[in-house]
Amino acid sequence: MARLKIKAEVTGSVWKIEARAGQKLEPGATIMILESMKMEIPVVAEDGGTVAELHVAEGESVNEGQVVATLAE
Amino acid sequence: MTAESADAEGWQSEVEELRLRRAQADALGGAAAVDKHHGQGRLTIRERIAGLVDTQSFQEVGRLTGQGRYDKDGRLLGVTPAPYVMGLAKIDGRPVAVGGEDFTVRGGTSWSGDRKKGGQGGFVEDLAHSYRIPLVNLIDGSGGSVTSINRRGHSVFPGVHGFERSVQLMGEVPVVCAVMGTAAGGPAGRAILSHWSVMVKDSSYVFAAGPPVVERSLRQKITKEELGGPGIAVEVAGTIDNVAASEAECFALVRRYLSYMPQNVWQLPPVANTGDPADRAEDELLSIVPRNRRKAYDMRRLVRLVADKDSVFELQPSYGKALITCLARMNGKVVGFVANNPMVYGGAMDSRAARKQTHFVELCDFFHIPLVFLVDVPGFMVGRDAEAAGTLREGMRSVYVGLQASVPMFTVVIRKCYGMAGMGTTDKNGLDLKIAWPSAEWGSLPIEGGVAAAFRREIEAAADPAAREAEIEAELRAMASPFRTAEAFGVEEIIDPRETRAYLCRFIDAAQARLATSVGPKPKFGVRP
Repeated sequence: MARLKIKAEVTGSVWKIEARAGQKLEPGATIMILESMKMEIPVVAEDGGTVAELHVAEGESVNEGQVVATLAE
Repeated sequence: MTAESADAEGWQSEVEELRLRRAQADALGGAAAVDKHHGQGRLTIRERIAGLVDTQSFQEVGRLTGQGRYDKDGRLLGVTPAPYVMGLAKIDGRPVAVGGEDFTVRGGTSWSGDRKKGGQGGFVEDLAHSYRIPLVNLIDGSGGSVTSINRRGHSVFPGVHGFERSVQLMGEVPVVCAVMGTAAGGPAGRAILSHWSVMVKDSSYVFAAGPPVVERSLRQKITKEELGGPGIAVEVAGTIDNVAASEAECFALVRRYLSYMPQNVWQLPPVANTGDPADRAEDELLSIVPRNRRKAYDMRRLVRLVADKDSVFELQPSYGKALITCLARMNGKVVGFVANNPMVYGGAMDSRAARKQTHFVELCDFFHIPLVFLVDVPGFMVGRDAEAAGTLREGMRSVYVGLQASVPMFTVVIRKCYGMAGMGTTDKNGLDLKIAWPSAEWGSLPIEGGVAAAFRREIEAAADPAAREAEIEAELRAMASPFRTAEAFGVEEIIDPRETRAYLCRFIDAAQARLATSVGPKPKFGVRP
């Protein structure tokens, strides 16, 4: 089973987590929303997949390029 | 044989030798070397050229070059071809100069005949220069080799004649470099001296020096992929612009890129009939920007809704993602879109986005491609990392290059337009036409950041400082309506977002006459900051 690491495209903080571990996501679905530069930046599962793991919690700081979730196809 | 019968034969025996020599050239480094190359999932240079150019359009030059082997009577036994294949070809019916190293002969290392064939300068680059046609380099060479010391009896001073031609071409004709294998040193440097570059996933690498040199110099053990695969060269460093999934896709991308380019700076880009009505209005544009200012939206979709259908070609899609740069068509005419991406740092210009904009604006200016700025920029990126990355210098360099450019530019303010980065989206040398959507806002800096600083004493003196700050913000925001600036003609027009395409097409069509009267090279004065 292919695992896909989802990275944060921006440095900021985790504002809201929308998906649960184990949840199956449609392509383009939002996994979580980061806050950066006073904007809500969605982290999306471009090709969809099942959430294998969430690596961050709400309120936590994230760096650009940090893996925030792992999806399984 | 009598003289008569020899004459009747004509030059048949020499033509036979020519046929033999051509067959030797076509065999490249021999069947074993070709098989090994194919085994690594790579095409030969001859297959690459055939895959890139119009069918049957390749006219090779220098097919006989190489190292002949002769018996003691001087009869030809065979020829090891020169490790470079090049010539004249066509792409979409237009002539191009094309060449590339042959990896199956000595790993495509440099070759010294009486005249260089290509690589850095050489005949193929002279051809592009003299005939003012685009140059496509298919790079798969290891560059210089220390074994040349053995051959020559001396070491060679770095740099060869030819690189000055490569530099000259940057102001004359489109130069495309496709890295097809491992490029280190000279060939890597050559790849950078281009208007657009591309590499192939899982099969090309580009670096100043490869893993063995890195290990000796720094005691770092690192793989080729980690050192110079697309994950570094394209996504992190931006040294190469785009990545292709396969060699075949790479050729399709090169052809696509050139379809937007004029043959040289003395001509205009080709106009195509895209069949997309100039007055097409998309209802989706009315609601694409959320009313909630904290919410981002899909700027790539916005570009696709405005541009001619299927005409958008994004350059550097995975580098400097706070900015989107695309070649596209509007009513058939080539334009360059520069769009801030609110999904990445709210569209703030960081050092990478600035470098991307600098190159793209200069590219479009040189090749007479009008620019459309779709603006949603809160300013330069802030924070320690951004300062350390030289955002101010890269950002101002981008602004500087924009203020030197003379190609017509159009500013469409979608949402935020603030500060120096905002100024860099306007056509200060030209008409300076700025149109805005009702969602637009602008200023020297965003109100929410500015109020606390500008009204500090007043806020501190208030009974409820937080309430006073919110109150001042609300007062200022009411005055920040784009309609008030339009009253003062500080922005030339506010439009219904659905009118964007029709409005831009009118002006881009009208600008064609101006473009036609200002072709030719553009010398630039001054020193970039």
